[in-house]
Amino acid sequence: MDTLLDVQEIHTFIGQYHILEGVSLGVPQGSITALLGRNGAGKTTTLKSILGLTAPRQGKVVFDGRDLSGMRSFDIAALGIGYVPEHRAIFRDLSVEENLKIAEREKGDYTRKSDMIFDLFPDLKRLITLSGANLSGGQQQMLAIARALVADNKLLLIDEPSEGLAPVLIEQMMKVISRLSVESTVVLVEQNFLVASQLAEYFVIIEEGKSVKSGMMKDLVNDHETIHRYLGAA
Amino acid sequence: MINVIRKNLVLWLTILVLVIFFVMAARGMDTEDWVITLLRGLSVGAVTFLVASGFSLIFGLLDVLNLAHGTMFMIGAYVAWTVYVRPDTFVDLLAPGLLLVSGFMLSGLWDRLREGIRIDGFLRKALPWMGLMLAAVIVVLVFRRFPITIWDVGNYAQSPVTYSFMADQGLLVLPEGEPFEEISPAVAAIGLMAGSLIAGFSLSLFKKSTQANLKVGWRSYLGFFMVALVGLAALFLNDGLTAFLTGINSNWLFFLAVLSAVSFGILLGGVMESTLIRPLYVRPIYQLMLTIGLSAIGIEVVRAIWGRPEFVMPKPAMFSGTGEGCPATTLADLVQYHCSTIELLDGRIRVYNEIFIPVVGLVVLITVWMLLQRSKLGMIIRAGVQDGEMVEALGINVRRVFTLVFALGVGLAALGGALAAPSMGLSNVMGESLLLNALIALAIGGLTSYPGAALGSILVGLLQQFIIKYGAIGIPIPFTEIIFKPTPPLVPASTVLLMVIILLLMPNGLLGRKE
Repeated sequence: MDTLLDVQEIHTFIGQYHILEGVSLGVPQGSITALLGRNGAGKTTTLKSILGLTAPRQGKVVFDGRDLSGMRSFDIAALGIGYVPEHRAIFRDLSVEENLKIAEREKGDYTRKSDMIFDLFPDLKRLITLSGANLSGGQQQMLAIARALVADNKLLLIDEPSEGLAPVLIEQMMKVISRLSVESTVVLVEQNFLVASQLAEYFVIIEEGKSVKSGMMKDLVNDHETIHRYLGAA
Repeated sequence: MINVIRKNLVLWLTILVLVIFFVMAARGMDTEDWVITLLRGLSVGAVTFLVASGFSLIFGLLDVLNLAHGTMFMIGAYVAWTVYVRPDTFVDLLAPGLLLVSGFMLSGLWDRLREGIRIDGFLRKALPWMGLMLAAVIVVLVFRRFPITIWDVGNYAQSPVTYSFMADQGLLVLPEGEPFEEISPAVAAIGLMAGSLIAGFSLSLFKKSTQANLKVGWRSYLGFFMVALVGLAALFLNDGLTAFLTGINSNWLFFLAVLSAVSFGILLGGVMESTLIRPLYVRPIYQLMLTIGLSAIGIEVVRAIWGRPEFVMPKPAMFSGTGEGCPATTLADLVQYHCSTIELLDGRIRVYNEIFIPVVGLVVLITVWMLLQRSKLGMIIRAGVQDGEMVEALGINVRRVFTLVFALGVGLAALGGALAAPSMGLSNVMGESLLLNALIALAIGGLTSYPGAALGSILVGLLQQFIIKYGAIGIPIPFTEIIFKPTPPLVPASTVLLMVIILLLMPNGLLGRKE
């Protein structure tokens, strides 16, 4: 299977703090890979380093056969990476429709994709004129994912999609993400191991800024010792 | 509806109290007085708004407190005055100015050339500096041999005050243009253009290689050719162009003056952001000190060129009629005789100050509002105010939008300055006092709120003008014989007082967002 994203031993600093001290991961085309690990392990920073929002000082990120070192983050994103950040980062002053339109990379992206998007998230169509500030947490999460779908993205980086959502909504979100992985590749950061284990085929565990273990999710599920040691879950 | 009111109870109560105060203030004077005071307040408010709105856009998106904004306002006024009263100087400067800009219009081509060449190590670092130095030497060598009719500051007879007065009386005689003596015009033109091209390419070499797929559109070349062509035309048709500008209708010249001031402001803002402000986004305090320093430098440059005297830019013909049929009493008279004043309710209203400026303010308010609400750029600005990183993660070059907004903000300030030049006059300190007003207006209206900037500016303008008016007619204190006349120092104090009261009630200003 082809590797779409190859992260090789990256080291990232935020200010003077050495946050990532050697993270490596390979993401096969068309799969869902979950980044696991405790709070503060460096999962979100890994996603931001891939996008160049916090550019790595050492190591390199290869996306679609292209070395991303030294590229600016908007150029990286324009190569076809969609980002759904932690806490959604919906633009509050923009309407739902504007939140989608702003993600257009080519003119007409939104019109072309709107049927697909509203098919996935029928609720958004109803809320189209509402401003982002007036959406509930679940609606914001849907909008954040929908926004990443407007442009043609080969890779989706999704950070904590289940955070703060009611169980019913989590289930809905999981359905959407697994449908997405049919067409694009997904890297998922997820605290909720139950959610991650059901969605992802592959996993990478990050501990104190290093990638310590990776492999197939179906192997991890039965490896209670690893789960207990790195994730603290039973 | 009830919910809307309940949600913003403090806001509505504050506005209600302000309205009550306004009605009380209006009842204390004759109708004609309060109409004129109201219009004057709106006029001051409109000029304040032009500065405040640019300041607030820049602060909202870039987090830069541009304390040089008042200086930009002042520079706008001086540029407009120069184009309007001394078109010869304007034409003299136009040619070298445009030729110097032309090389930077090709930035797309430079970026592609940079990606094409492969040099490393010491040379890679040294080359841009060497290029810049070479460009600077060429430009300095050529520029100081350029004949530019800048008036002799020592000679009072030729000072700005005299020229303003003569222009107002229609007696303006411009000094003869100086001929090229030390170098031929062709050498001068080629030298400046070469300097500009070398500088543009060298600046581009400073940037890191982006590996992005660069396309050079035909527009990039078109821009270069247009600017270079106009520059060359201004150089070779110098005297003819001056004669033409002196000959045309003063309304057109005024329009050209305002347009030049705005363009110069936009250019200045763009250059300022991309060279000085950009490296300091990670050091906000340095940025603040930088803008204070730039403000001081700007004032000194203005003093060096135009001197210290205060003067007024003459109004264009459309607003300066005084002869037969003036002051106008009907709209038809106004259109026919272009009166400078109209008579309304026994009072005289100055058309330019009290009607034209508020109207332009309103037009700008609506135009920028539409730009923010309806265009893709506006969408990006509104989104970027909240979360620039996320906008970038969508694949949008936020830095370019930053430059654009900074340029736009400075352009608005320059527009304010150009419009204020005929009504408030020009002086070295005009920028500082207006910036203070604008900051107070923004604190009242809400620092990053665009409608807040408008509301705050109007309130500041109205309050100042009503206090000034009451300084003349006095306020009878109830139950006493005392008539209180606010002294001039109370004018700025009153706006600060209003700001304090509003900030105590609503810490984010009237329309500011709660953090």
